Amino acid sequence: MIVPAGGVDVADGDATLVARLRDGDERAFEAAVDSLSPAMLAVARGYVRTRSVAEEVVQEAWLGVFKGLDGFERRSTLRIWVLQIVANIARKRAVGEARSLPFSSLEVGDDEPAVEPERFRGADEPYPGGWRSFPTDWRTLPQTRLLARETLDLVDRAIAELPEAQRIVITLRDVIGCGAEEVSEALMISDGNQRVLLHRARTRVRARLERYFDG
Amino acid sequence: MKGYKFLTADGEGLFSRFAWPLPNGRPGRWVESEIEPCRSGIHACRKDDLPYWIAPALYEIEVDGPIEAHAIKVVAGRGRLLRRIDAWDAATRHAYGQMCFARAHELVAASEDRFDDWAPTTEIALTESARLGFIAATIAQLIGGVAAHLEERRRQSEWLVAHLALD
Amino acid sequence: MADSSHVEHGYACREVVELVSEYLEGAMTPEQMTRFELHLNLCDGCFSFVEQVRTTAGMAGRLSEDQISDEMKTKLLAAFRDWGPE
Repeated sequence: MIVPAGGVDVADGDATLVARLRDGDERAFEAAVDSLSPAMLAVARGYVRTRSVAEEVVQEAWLGVFKGLDGFERRSTLRIWVLQIVANIARKRAVGEARSLPFSSLEVGDDEPAVEPERFRGADEPYPGGWRSFPTDWRTLPQTRLLARETLDLVDRAIAELPEAQRIVITLRDVIGCGAEEVSEALMISDGNQRVLLHRARTRVRARLERYFDG
Repeated sequence: MKGYKFLTADGEGLFSRFAWPLPNGRPGRWVESEIEPCRSGIHACRKDDLPYWIAPALYEIEVDGPIEAHAIKVVAGRGRLLRRIDAWDAATRHAYGQMCFARAHELVAASEDRFDDWAPTTEIALTESARLGFIAATIAQLIGGVAAHLEERRRQSEWLVAHLALD
Repeated sequence: MADSSHVEHGYACREVVELVSEYLEGAMTPEQMTRFELHLNLCDGCFSFVEQVRTTAGMAGRLSEDQISDEMKTKLLAAFRDWGPE
């Protein structure tokens, strides 16, 4: 189970948090901002061109959250509800933007193998389609190496350098820990597309890590 | 329903990495299927299924809830481990692997077909009982078709049941 | 007795690496999963690959999340106070 990197887990105790927000509890609000804003930013970046516009969207979304808080009924978790608000605002902002959005369907349709084809034996070789040489078993690597600052920095860079749509999906799913359905709905893409993007993102980052560990 | 379950030496699912509550004089606690990362329920082997899933540790498992039978496993809503089958240890695994390897030799020798380079040569491969069982069944199939494959798997299952005293 | 030949001669490694996310997401049918896991049981290369993808996702989970700027947080807190109960 992937655990979110930081902040209060607002999924549990949503009702308590909402009550505290309604009471004007500033500490509760700061915790909510810390916990939810990364995901809000990531979703906004799925629609708008720049980070500064994304921050504006997030700001506007929080106003929307305040307005809607009195009427918030626990039909979904707080985070799902908040991300929907972000998506609605971001989509309206994006209508005026000239560039093609990261989640236009063509990008997902391209073929991108998870592993270079040369890593596998050809159709005319023994064991066609099998590995030429096996990937390393990372369980044999010392934990200190796996969790070292340097390694995590590499993962961070690898994610930052992904194509935009892949970056946003892996950020929401793996870095932040949102669920599959939550992300598909907030980004307004199908389950299948979401999965393909996550797959490509993870396998690209894996390839970077493999070169790092084996090199 | 009672069945069997192979796990890693540490009591984790081989593919799920789920850490099973282990029996210790009494059954481990019940596990419901929502906990399984693949979200498809608790998997268990019937006796005939054992050869497909060979792994370091073997347990007897009780499953209930909705139970679906599939080709080489059952899938259930919940399960709990009843006891570890201690007879399935390194020595037994090795003996099973050697049995399968010997069967593969037998099949090849008795066949009119040629089998070049079928035998694994590395030390590690020669001790991997799951792989050796797979090789024997595959050779059987190449000679005699699917029926022969299934027959070879039945032999393997019978060997396991006899040597592990499974009911 | 079920015909399990298709189970044995299931996926090639080249196919397995494309299916790993479906597997980890639980999006396979039981039959697909059986074939997939059988392959992993017998193929150390693909087993390691799936573990690598899992590890990669786990490492991503250890990264700190990209936060909004302090300036923005201050603005939001001010807006919250404005909105709050009188």
